[in-house]
Amino acid sequence: MKASLWLLGTVFLLSSAHTLGLRRCLIAMDMRHVGESFQQIKGAIQAQDTFQNVTILSASGTLHSIKPLDVCCVTKNLLAFYMNRVFKDHQELNPQILRKISSIANSFLYMQKVLQQCQEQRLCHCGEEAANATRIVHDNYNQLEVRSAALKSLGELDVFLAWIDRNHQGTPAS
Amino acid sequence: MRDAGCRRRARSRRAWSCRWPRCSAWAAGSQGQCCPALHPCGSKQSFSTTSSTGRPSRIRRKAPAMKWSCGGTGAGGGLWRPVSSCSQTPVLSCDLTMVTLDLYDLKGYHARVQAVDRGRRSDWTVTQTRFSIDDVSLTVGSVELEIRDGFVLGKIQPPRPKAAPAGHTYERIFPQFHEYEVSIRKVPARHEFTNKKVNHENFSFPIPGEFGEFCVRVKPAVTSRTNKGVWSEEVCFLLAAKQYFTGTNLTISFALVLLLCGALALRLYLHRRQKLPAVLVFGKPHPFSPVGQLPRPETRDTLHAVDEQAFAKVSPELRNSELHGSTDSGFGSAKPSLQTEEPQFLLPDALPQAGGTLRKGDPPDPESSCSSASTDSGICLQEPRWVPQAGGQEHGGQEDSGIGLAHHSEGRTEDELCGSGGGHVGPLEPEAAEGEDPAAVGFQGYLKQTRGTEEQAVTAGCLEEEASSADASVPQLRMCPDAQEAWPPPAVDKGYLKQDPPEATLAPLGALAGQWNPAAEEWSLLGVTSCGDLGTAEWSFARDPAPLGVAAPGGLLGSFDADLVTLPLISSLHASE
Repeated sequence: MKASLWLLGTVFLLSSAHTLGLRRCLIAMDMRHVGESFQQIKGAIQAQDTFQNVTILSASGTLHSIKPLDVCCVTKNLLAFYMNRVFKDHQELNPQILRKISSIANSFLYMQKVLQQCQEQRLCHCGEEAANATRIVHDNYNQLEVRSAALKSLGELDVFLAWIDRNHQGTPAS
Repeated sequence: MRDAGCRRRARSRRAWSCRWPRCSAWAAGSQGQCCPALHPCGSKQSFSTTSSTGRPSRIRRKAPAMKWSCGGTGAGGGLWRPVSSCSQTPVLSCDLTMVTLDLYDLKGYHARVQAVDRGRRSDWTVTQTRFSIDDVSLTVGSVELEIRDGFVLGKIQPPRPKAAPAGHTYERIFPQFHEYEVSIRKVPARHEFTNKKVNHENFSFPIPGEFGEFCVRVKPAVTSRTNKGVWSEEVCFLLAAKQYFTGTNLTISFALVLLLCGALALRLYLHRRQKLPAVLVFGKPHPFSPVGQLPRPETRDTLHAVDEQAFAKVSPELRNSELHGSTDSGFGSAKPSLQTEEPQFLLPDALPQAGGTLRKGDPPDPESSCSSASTDSGICLQEPRWVPQAGGQEHGGQEDSGIGLAHHSEGRTEDELCGSGGGHVGPLEPEAAEGEDPAAVGFQGYLKQTRGTEEQAVTAGCLEEEASSADASVPQLRMCPDAQEAWPPPAVDKGYLKQDPPEATLAPLGALAGQWNPAAEEWSLLGVTSCGDLGTAEWSFARDPAPLGVAAPGGLLGSFDADLVTLPLISSLHASE
């Protein structure tokens, strides 16, 4: 009885430390600025999405089922997905929309650097569930035509930003 | 596919105009849009009425039924779900709250609408954008106000929708960074009275310093999100004047008023008490009053023995008079009526041949001789009655308690006469006395007693003596009526001065006339040579001329102070035999 209690306490402390560590990695990030930038181009981007029955990020509740321990890994992987594939595959002709997309990309780049430091400190461990969620997203992206997939992925940024805000709450939006 | 209500214009196939059955006007719209905008899923969004085939459908004049359905990209996998509550009757808007309760679980929804007319259906019109948690408008459930201790306490209740699933609360969906904008408005003004932001559901602000009705409304916000807030309904409260007039405030105010009235009353009382009674109100000081002047401390009068025999006939009353009370040169009087400040006196008329220095029987003239305000010993000195002569001059009006002797004879000028005032003495030429009856000359000298020599003061009242000579020019010493009966015949006053030889200088009359010259303060009577011999042997009195013990020059005569300011009042003049 005492051993089980001691074990549970240890697990609890470790998970708290892990969560606190993850949150500590994104303390300085202002997600509100990114959300405002997306709201300004959301209508234009989503209006071009003709495949409304298909989703990339929210397939089968991918992001909804991510555990706190995998948040850091999943966040890092999705940031890499957007930076390496979505922003590169999207061809935007409207300069105003392109400026907003660039602003969002810069914010994602900063977040990647912060998470990379956490990973170097071995604070961002990637488990199996995190790897699976990342693979699903890539598979959904691969099923569509590149431009449509990129366009749809840009249109689902609001889902991704909401997921980051929920999983990394406690960080001041300064 | 066009929405129901849209029709193509007759002239152009691409120009479409939309008319809804309930709209009052036609509105031109480009292909693919109709107006007014529909409101699918609780949010205002413009609808693109482009059909799936891209071809416009024919327009029916009859209003069709609208069929609504919503499809989400969340857990539903993108499937559209029909909204049965909005599909029965033709409506232009539909509430999709109940079908989108999992919106906060990272879901995003589209809405679409289709017009149905019996068997015919239009194309679906889908919202252009997906509405998510970012599109949710934040509201508050209620605002409660309470006025306490000069503050308005407010409490904001988060929204509690009945349809919300378990666990879906405002605080769980938005756990942090709550912010509320509080606006206060004074009725009936529409502009905001004050506006502030608070970070908690409980807030407070001081009571506005005005009376009237105030309304408060609140708009929520989450600082980490871009969600818009909706103003709550106004909650008003009334600030009446009576709220400020509490029992405590009234008690304190009443006490302050009482204290103020008491202080004012006390001040008035003290102010009235400072007023002296009329009895103690002193009269206006005289411009010059040699009698009442302050004693000079630098001179100390020496006391000389006086022959008491000379004062034997003096009335005991006068002998024991309160001479010390006088501020003059020595004469004091307990009877103010006998005192005078006028330099007038009547010499006793003991020897008619003496020149009538004293005149008896003359009624007292209080106005010219005695003054009720005089504080001297009571010797009433009367102005000599000058016979108009060339060079003669009256000395009336001179305020001098001294003795002004004037030899009234023809040809005498003012300089030859002993004037009064300030202690000056009119000179008397010894030559004038030679040709006349010595007794008729009368009192030619000038006598002044020293201050403090109270024993020299002999009178307490006015003396009146008949001048032995009918010559009106001789100053006459007369007695006040009330003291006449008790007043014994004046005895020879040994204290009277004998004049010095002529070589003594005199003080300028001009300087002494009307004012006291300090230079003549130490002027000694002995220096008055022109007044002639003031020896008592030349004086004659009507009554018993008691021998006057004339003191040696160093005695009484020598003690006479040259201070002409404090001229003595002769209480009695006694002719020496």
